[in-house]
Formats: sequence, C-alpha cells, structure tokens
Amino acid sequence: MVDISAPRAVVRAPNLRLWVPLCWLTLVGIAAVFAPWIAPHDPLAQDLMLGRLPPAWIAGSEPGYWLGTDDLGRDVLSRLIYGARIALIVAATAALLAGLVGSGLGLLAGFFGGWWDKCISRLVEIWMAFPPVLFAVLLVAVLGTGLGSVIAAIALIDWTRFVRVVRAETLVQARMDYIDSAVIGGASKLSVLRHEVLPNVLPAIIALLSLEMGIAVIVEAILSFVNLSLSSDAPTWGGMIAEGRASIYFAWWVLTFPLLTLFLTVLSFSQLGEGLKRHFDPVQT
Amino acid sequence: MSAPVLEISNLSVRLPNDLKVLNTVDLRVEPGEVRALVGESGAGKSMLGKAVLGILPAGLRQTGRITVLGQALDQLPASVRRREVARHVSLIPQDPLTALNPVRPIAAQMTDAMVRIHGWPRRKALARAADLLEQVHIRDVARVLKSYPHELSGGMRQRVLIAAAFATEPKLIVADEPTTALDATVQREILRIIRGLQQETGTTVLFVTHDMGVVAQISQRVTVLFGGRVVEHIDTEALFAGAGQGHAYSRALIRATPDWTRSDAPFAPVPPEVIADLMQEQTR
Repeated sequence: MVDISAPRAVVRAPNLRLWVPLCWLTLVGIAAVFAPWIAPHDPLAQDLMLGRLPPAWIAGSEPGYWLGTDDLGRDVLSRLIYGARIALIVAATAALLAGLVGSGLGLLAGFFGGWWDKCISRLVEIWMAFPPVLFAVLLVAVLGTGLGSVIAAIALIDWTRFVRVVRAETLVQARMDYIDSAVIGGASKLSVLRHEVLPNVLPAIIALLSLEMGIAVIVEAILSFVNLSLSSDAPTWGGMIAEGRASIYFAWWVLTFPLLTLFLTVLSFSQLGEGLKRHFDPVQT
Repeated sequence: MSAPVLEISNLSVRLPNDLKVLNTVDLRVEPGEVRALVGESGAGKSMLGKAVLGILPAGLRQTGRITVLGQALDQLPASVRRREVARHVSLIPQDPLTALNPVRPIAAQMTDAMVRIHGWPRRKALARAADLLEQVHIRDVARVLKSYPHELSGGMRQRVLIAAAFATEPKLIVADEPTTALDATVQREILRIIRGLQQETGTTVLFVTHDMGVVAQISQRVTVLFGGRVVEHIDTEALFAGAGQGHAYSRALIRATPDWTRSDAPFAPVPPEVIADLMQEQTR
C-alpha cells in the first residue's frame, strides 16, 4: 500500500539552464577581472619569431602558449582573456542602460496608457524600423570609435526591446484584481506601480537583461570585426576573429578560439536569461 | 432613524457605446445591515459594487450620486475620494486566485492598507492581521503570514482576503460574489466566517451574489436587479416566506435555484413570460 500520510519531499531537478551558463560566465568574469594576473603573456607583445605557433597539444608548439599565437606572435589565450574584459564591460553597461531606459518607458506606457502609451509606442515603432546593425555602424561612425560610443550605440539600438516586453507584461499585471485591491486600500498610482506592478514585471526584466548582454556581446564583436569598435590592436574577440580570417588556412586556431568563446558566452547569456526566469517564477512549473 | 451607510440615487453607468449597464438605480443601506444584491449574469450587480469602490473600468461614464456616510463621493476630487473609500470601504473580491499579489508575502499585503489608512506602526498592523487570521479559523497563523499566495489553497486565500477586508475597520464591505470560485463545502464555511465577523463588528455589508441560497442565509434585505435596473427592494424573510410577497421575477429566481437535496427536482428556469412582463414594466 502506498503511504500517503508522510508527504515526500519534492526533489526538483537542478535547473541546468541556470547553473551551466552561470559556471561559464563566472569563468569569463574571473578572466576579465583578474586578466593581468591570469594571462600568461602580454596580449599586445609581438614576437615575429613565434608567429603562428599551434596550440599546446599539436606538434611544433612552444611551452607556455596554450592556445598558440597569431600572425604577429601574440598569445591567443592572453588576448582572449583581455578580450573578456572589453566584452563584459560593454555587455553589462549597454544592457543596463538599455534596460533602464526601456523598462522605465515600458512601465509608463503599459500602466498609464492613453497618451503615454501612444507616444512611446509610436516612437518605438519608428525606432525599430531601422535595421539594427546598420544603425549601430552609422551611430559609431557619427560618435567616433571608442568604448563609450560602442556602449552608447548598443544601448540606443536595443532599448526598444525592453519597452515592448515590459509594456506587454505591465498591461497584463495592471488588469489583475490585486491592483484593484491596492487601489481600494488607498494606494496611490505611483505606489501601485512600484509595489504591485514592478515586482511582478521584474523577472521578465532580469531575463531580458541577460539576453540583452548576449546580444551586446555579438554587436560589439560585429563592430570590432568591421574595425569600428576600439583601436585595432586592442584585444577584442571580434577583432581577433577578423584578423584570424586572413590566416584561416595556415593557423585555424587564431579564428576558432575567439569564435568558440564568443559562441559559448552568447549562448550562456541567453540560456541564463531563461534559467533566471524559471528560477524567479514563484509558481514553479 | 440613523443616517444610511450607503445611499445611491439615480445612478447610471454607460458603456462607451451608450449602452446602460446600470440605469437610474436607487439604493439605501442602513448601518449594520447585510444587503444582498442579486440578479442574473449581466444584471449589473458587480458594476454597482465597482462604482461604489471607484474602480469602474476605464471608458465607462457614471452619473448620479453615491453617498457613503453622508459624503457624496462623486463630488470629491479623485485623490480625496480614494482616501475616503480606503478609510471606510473594503472589498472581499470574487476570485481569491488573482486578488493577491503573487510575489509578495501575505503579511505585507495585509498590513499595507492598515499602515496607509490608519498610520499604525507595522508591528501593530501585523498583530491585528494575526488576530484576524485566527478569527477566520486559520490554524497556523505564523506560517500563513510568511507564505506567498501560491502556497495557500483557494479557501485559505479567501479567508486571508476576508481578514484583510475587516482589518482596516471599514464601515462598509462590498462582497463581490466571494464564494463563487470555491467548492460547495468551502462556500458554506466562508459564509459562516463572513457572517460571524459581520455580527461581531456590526459592519454593513453589500453582498453581491447570484445564488438565492446564499441570499437566504446571509442577508436581511435583498435588492433584485434586472438589466441594470432595480426590480425591487424587499426584506429577505418576506421574499422567502412563500406567501406570494415580492415581484414575480424574484420568486422565479428562487424557484430557479436547484435543490440539491432532491435528485428528482425539475430544473425551473425563469419563465419567458415573466421576463417579458418585467421588460414591459421597465420600459414604461
């Protein structure tokens, strides 16, 4: 007979979508923060005698150059580690800026409706009509290259994504009965927005922030690839991919490792977003 | 005779297409009274409750007068009106599943209004919340206060909402079909709890329902609505006495209530001629 008196502890499968990406991103984060201590070589030091060294497990490699060297003899691993710095700084700041502006406008549009909604929604539609990458290239061309303008360009393109999602989510929440209950309990509009709506929209914003960081990493790589990001010798993943392209037939590792790093990082950000959403959902499904 | 807690005169509510969901409604509820507001779906009974609470959906236009404790609410600026409603009126909502914020613990949701309306310290509000939860027969009060809504059953949530409605010491409670989302055994318990608290505190209740069985159990007077208009106001006892008192439509509503104690009881919908007569009467 089945014993129904003692409820079994519910064992929930570990949320792989949360923990696996988190592991990889922690690794990238540590690399970014402690780059000068971790990197085995100076990322900018050239040594033409050591050009195009293969990775450590292939014959002809030099000890100490784990992932080989590029055309100019610069250590690929060290450049990847320093590249993580730029990638994460750009991703975090750009996503945060876009998230702040976009979520704020989305909340206003969804909660107050009327003219707020009309103005903000039209602006978003017009903004989204521009092809994003071309827009970014154009913006950087106008603003000039450099870390600041890359961040500004990404934030200026992607705030619309937040407006759309947050507005839709706010519309759903604003129709809930507990909003009425709060109003009957004497809560002001702003208090309702802050204490009732925002906490319910926050999981969506956090998930989107993570997704957006992945997108920011890609856009930064695209801008670096077309040489519109930082100065060309600064170690960026996109720049490394661009340089590796030239020697793909003689030294595949110069292109492959930055590409792989980029791929894993972007994938991790998007999966982390999904994992976080599930983690924060009070009603576990 | 003391002043009424709620007085509604000539209240109409129009949809944007000018259709009237409430049509020249008059209503007077005395202190300590439990007034049932009955009608079929679409009769406008929930709209009446929403109009009193000032939470009509956007786009609806309201004319006429709603007076609570001698104050004409429609004459007040919106912010003052909101404060007055908060101070004197509470709601027991229909659906306990959506009436609680899913991301905030019960304690925060129950104490917010008390702190805001009466300016009590959080600790005092929390003590009162715990006290009221005990009165609505919740055993594990400390745990419930710490819980999030999804950790409680529908019946538990409805009890929390009832406790929250009484917590702010309102003079008037609008109960908007508080038992329809619950199953039959829980319904009876919930009704008992509401009546118990009502009798103890002497709070006036406007009880919106479509269930004539509930009307008989809880109210002293009934207002019957049809098509947004008042059919009649009548003492509950007189209506259920079976002595032919009350409007033909009200009596038909009573007969239409299924009798679960008799399996062979025929289903008796409101006869079309009664509705035809009523509509003719209303257009006159």
